[in-house]
Amino acid sequence: MSSDSERLAHAGDYVLGLLDDDARAEAERKMERDPEFAETVRRLAERMSSLDDTAKPADVPAGMWGEILGTIATLPQDHNGASPPEQSAANQNSATQAPPWRKLALAASLAAAFGLGYAGGFVMKTTPEPVVLVVLQTPDNTTGAVFEAFADNSLKIIPLADFDVPQDKIMQVWTLYDASVGPVSLGTLSSAEVTTLKGQALPVPAADQLYEITLEPRPGSPTGKPTGPILVKGFAKRPAG
Amino acid sequence: MSAVERSDQFCDGLMLRVASGDREALGDLFASEAGRLIAIARRILRRKDLAEEAVQEGFIAAWKHAPRFDPARGSARAWLTTIVRNRALNILRDGQRLRLTGDDMARHGESDSSADAAFEALDEADALKHCLSQLDEPRRRSILLAYVLGYTHGEIAAKLNAPLGTVKAWIRRGVIALQECLS
Repeated sequence: MSSDSERLAHAGDYVLGLLDDDARAEAERKMERDPEFAETVRRLAERMSSLDDTAKPADVPAGMWGEILGTIATLPQDHNGASPPEQSAANQNSATQAPPWRKLALAASLAAAFGLGYAGGFVMKTTPEPVVLVVLQTPDNTTGAVFEAFADNSLKIIPLADFDVPQDKIMQVWTLYDASVGPVSLGTLSSAEVTTLKGQALPVPAADQLYEITLEPRPGSPTGKPTGPILVKGFAKRPAG
Repeated sequence: MSAVERSDQFCDGLMLRVASGDREALGDLFASEAGRLIAIARRILRRKDLAEEAVQEGFIAAWKHAPRFDPARGSARAWLTTIVRNRALNILRDGQRLRLTGDDMARHGESDSSADAAFEALDEADALKHCLSQLDEPRRRSILLAYVLGYTHGEIAAKLNAPLGTVKAWIRRGVIALQECLS
C-alpha cells in the first residue's frame, strides 16, 4: 500500500466518522504535523458536505435560541487556542442537568470537533506562529535572550541571562523597523522572566529588523527613545521551513 | 455566484461578527442554519431531542471558539456542520457504550433508506454524485451508511450482511477511489 493510498484511506475513515476516540485524537495530532494529510481531510470533508445539504431542514423548537442565549450571556469567548475539555463551553452549559457520562462525552466531542479544525486547518486558525525569531546578544557576546515576534507585533520574550535591574530601573524593549522612524518601544518588563508583550499597530516584523532591550528609569524612557545602556540586541530571522 | 456561495459568504460574515463578541450575529446564524443542522444530526441520532441537543451545544461551542474561526480555511457553514456532526457521533457512540437500546434500536429500522435518499438527492452536476455512482454498490452503500447515518464498521457489516473485514476493505478501497475520482 503506497503512502498516498494510506493517506486517502486514513482521511476517509476520519471524515466518515469511523475512527474511535483514540484513533480520532491520533488523526488530529497527525493533521497538526502533516499539512498534506490535513488538506486531504479538508477537501474530502468539503466534498462530502453536499450530502449534508440534502437534508430537509427540520423545525427549530421555539425556546432553543433563548436557551443558547441564556448560556452564552455569561460565557466568555476563548481567545487562546484550544481550551481544556473541563472548561469547554457546552460542558458548563450542561453542568446542572446532564449526567456525568454525558458531560464527559460532550467534552470529548468538543475536543474532537475543534481538533478537526484546529489541527486540520479546516475551520480554525492554528496556534499563531512567530513570523520572526530574534537571538539577542549581550555586549560581551553571550546570548542574553530569545524573542518570538508575531504578525501583530506581540512579542514573547525568553530571557537567558539573569539581568541585574536596580529598583529604580526597568527593562524596555525596542524595535527599529524603519531608520527614519527610529526605535519604537514595544513595552517594559521589570524582571528577567518569560513575558509576552501585547501587539502594536506596527508593520509586520521582517527579517533583519533590529530588536534590543535597554535599561531605563522607571516607568520607562522619559524621551520615548532609548536613553540607557543596551542589555541585549539582535536582528530578526525568519524561522526555517 | 451560486446560492450556496452567497449563503456561505453571508454566514462567514456573521461568524466574523460573532468572533468579535456579537451575540446577535450568532442569533442570525442560528436562524439561518439551525434547521439544517438539526436535520443533519437527526439522520445520525434519529431522536429529535438528541439532535436538538447536539445543535444547541454546537452553537454554544461556536460562540466560545468563534475567535479562532478563519474563513480562509473553510466556510462557517462547514465549520458549524463539523461541530454538530462530531457532537452527534459522540452522543451516538456513548449511547451505544452504555447500551441505551430502546430508541437507538429504531435507527436500524426504516432509517437506512435515508442514506440512499441523500445520495439520490445530490445534484446531478455535483462531482460527488458522479464519483459515488462510479463505485460498486456495496462500497457506495458502506460509505453512505457511515457518513450520512453515522454507522460503525460493525453496523454496516450487520446491515449489509457481510463479514467485518470485507466491509473494511470496501470502505478503504471505496474512499480511495472516491478521492481519486474527485481530484
